[in-house]
Amino acid sequence: MAEVLRREVVYLITAIITILMFIEFFFIGTWNVAEELRTWATIIANISIALGAVRLLSEHAKNIQRRRAGVWPFSIWLWIIFLVTLLSGLAGYVIKQDAMTNPLYNWLFTWPYTSLGQTLYAITGFYIFSAAYRAFRARNIDAALLLIAGCFVILTNAPIGGVIWSGIPVIGRWFLDYGQVPGMRCFLIVAAFGMLAYGFRALLGRERGFYGEVAGE
Amino acid sequence: MVKKEEENMAIIVEGRGMALVILLLSYILFYVFMYLGRKGREIPVRTLPPMAAIPEGIGRAAEMGRPVMFTPGIAGDLNDPTQGPQVLAAISILGYIARECAKTGVKLDVFMPIPTALPLTEETLRTAYMAEGKPEEFSPDMIHFIAGQSPYLTAVLGYFQRERPATNFLIGGFYYESVVMGEGGNTIGAFQIGGTANTHQMPFLVATCDYVLLAEELYAAGASISKDPDILGCLRGEDVMKLILIALMIIGFLLGFARSPALINVLRW
Amino acid sequence: MSEEELTFWEKLARIDRRVFYWILFIGLMIPFIRPIMFPISISPSTRDLYEGIKEMVEPGDVVVMNIAFGVSAWPECMPAFVSCAKLFIREGAKIIIWGSYYDVDLTYEELLRRAKEDFAKLKYGEDYVYLGYYPNMEASVAQLGSSIRSIFSTDKYGTPLDELPMMKNVDKATDIKLVVSGDTGDCCDYYIRQWRIPYGVPVAEIGIAMLGSSYMPFYKSGVLFGMSVGVRGGAELEKLIGEPGEATIRMGAINISHILVIIAVVLANIGYFASRGKRR
Repeated sequence: MAEVLRREVVYLITAIITILMFIEFFFIGTWNVAEELRTWATIIANISIALGAVRLLSEHAKNIQRRRAGVWPFSIWLWIIFLVTLLSGLAGYVIKQDAMTNPLYNWLFTWPYTSLGQTLYAITGFYIFSAAYRAFRARNIDAALLLIAGCFVILTNAPIGGVIWSGIPVIGRWFLDYGQVPGMRCFLIVAAFGMLAYGFRALLGRERGFYGEVAGE
Repeated sequence: MVKKEEENMAIIVEGRGMALVILLLSYILFYVFMYLGRKGREIPVRTLPPMAAIPEGIGRAAEMGRPVMFTPGIAGDLNDPTQGPQVLAAISILGYIARECAKTGVKLDVFMPIPTALPLTEETLRTAYMAEGKPEEFSPDMIHFIAGQSPYLTAVLGYFQRERPATNFLIGGFYYESVVMGEGGNTIGAFQIGGTANTHQMPFLVATCDYVLLAEELYAAGASISKDPDILGCLRGEDVMKLILIALMIIGFLLGFARSPALINVLRW
Repeated sequence: MSEEELTFWEKLARIDRRVFYWILFIGLMIPFIRPIMFPISISPSTRDLYEGIKEMVEPGDVVVMNIAFGVSAWPECMPAFVSCAKLFIREGAKIIIWGSYYDVDLTYEELLRRAKEDFAKLKYGEDYVYLGYYPNMEASVAQLGSSIRSIFSTDKYGTPLDELPMMKNVDKATDIKLVVSGDTGDCCDYYIRQWRIPYGVPVAEIGIAMLGSSYMPFYKSGVLFGMSVGVRGGAELEKLIGEPGEATIRMGAINISHILVIIAVVLANIGYFASRGKRR
């Protein structure tokens, strides 16, 4: 019963908020309610960051307490880093209204965080390289055309392409403007319709996945 | 442009009239076909190869005695209008995957980097295992929550090397993790099924996965498994809307030759 | 078939990925040791971004620079973002900076560092302000369009917006001349949907290379007035503002990596066709 009620309440809230947003978007008038709701949404999102942090810490505290194999030492590490970052940031904020003024906090972000983030992102290049080597094969006419277009586009992006032959950027740009744009428009339109239908089902309470029920039943 | 002058007595914001008409028309069509589907009218839908391949992938894992990995990507939160529906659609597919895993006794590991989707994921898995009569096989430890894109990516790559899953499901809203995980999965010889509506990540999933759900297919995937009349009805509604749009494009194309701005003016209403 | 039994052609089609990784790693280091420079042509989307800013922005106009990229995307987005900031400053615009990525503070600090001389000419609060991080993506972007003060009552340093001279009459999207969004994801979509379409505020995108194809339809249809794609876009903007910098140097690495990809693809296909012919 409680479960059913909970679900009905979710349906109802979803429907009311959606209708309010629709009205605000399409009809002239001052819809303070919709604006107010968006402000709430931002406040709730801010609160959820703090809640998320609390939940994260409690989960890792449980790991440490239960000595979960292969995980608990990392949970201790997470606690240490979390506390160091939080306290150093707060100290900076309390003293000079800006967390970044604390040298420890600044160091944590400027060196370990930035370097690790950029390193991880940079390995994308290596993976794209090996994926291109493996996947870009002219197995049939379609794949051959894709391969040729891909090579032109790759060389268009690199200045050396224009140095090799001045026609490369012209052809590459043609593929970009007249080859991929219609394809992307097509994906955008169909994905938008898919999303619209998904939202409509959710609005009516008929999208079971939206409410944690299982597809395929 | 928003114009809220009272003197023109308009009630619809200028420039949004046609968007409202298209939205309402879509909703009416969705509803009508959903109603007809519920009344028993047959709405044929082609089988999506990626969905048909799910049991194959899980069977492969069962034969190899290795786990199956599922992740929905970290592109956005549930309240993100572009990414949220993709994550929800992915969780809906996860329910089906979990049922198949429960049936065959294959270990399922879910990497869920989106905090707001955690309770839903847990609920979906619990329901799936219960539906297969194996509630005891469900454990919240199946779900690995790792916040932040780089840590999440590192954790998944490490998991690939340690556990060497037989099958990976990369279905949801992805950013650059799609190519790293896809290629990382390839290096361990995993069978991979991908899916996203993010246009910028589709090429990477196509290049690295064996099967891919592209754009709208992600949202329609549920229908090809369940034959749910609501989803099938919406699919039919979408098809009709697409036909209407194609007709508009052709009319616009022809009017363009005649240098007539009539259609543009109507669309800008 | 074991590795020993493979023919030369089959081996060519199955080169270990680690070989490529090493070649790429070494190849990418070359331009940083000895820069390899080739002339960079300007793509239409970058030119439109540059010219759009020059044509639209008058001295005193308020513009928004939205940071929706994290530190990991600095190499791709930062050069174009810095060039745009420099261009705004030259045009006499007043700049509001905010961001939807949780490490936005770092990116803001880096922007100030890289355009140090340009920002030194400005006065904080009068010529530029930094409002900080906003969560909740599109809902917040929509609300920023209705009322900036409902999301940011103060700037990042706790000063009420009404006490900042340049913010006195600025609260809605209609008070903003244009938006430039630096992205690794979909944030530009939100500005298109919530600022460009409802209020007609011109929007431009500075994105990582992956986003080039996604946003091209919006640029081609005029929804975005300009677009800078990846490092290449940054190098083009640096050339346009006449200050070659980081992105221009990086184009050497782009040349090497792209040529290596082409070579790898050609090798794979030679191996594929030769070994397929043999099997037949």
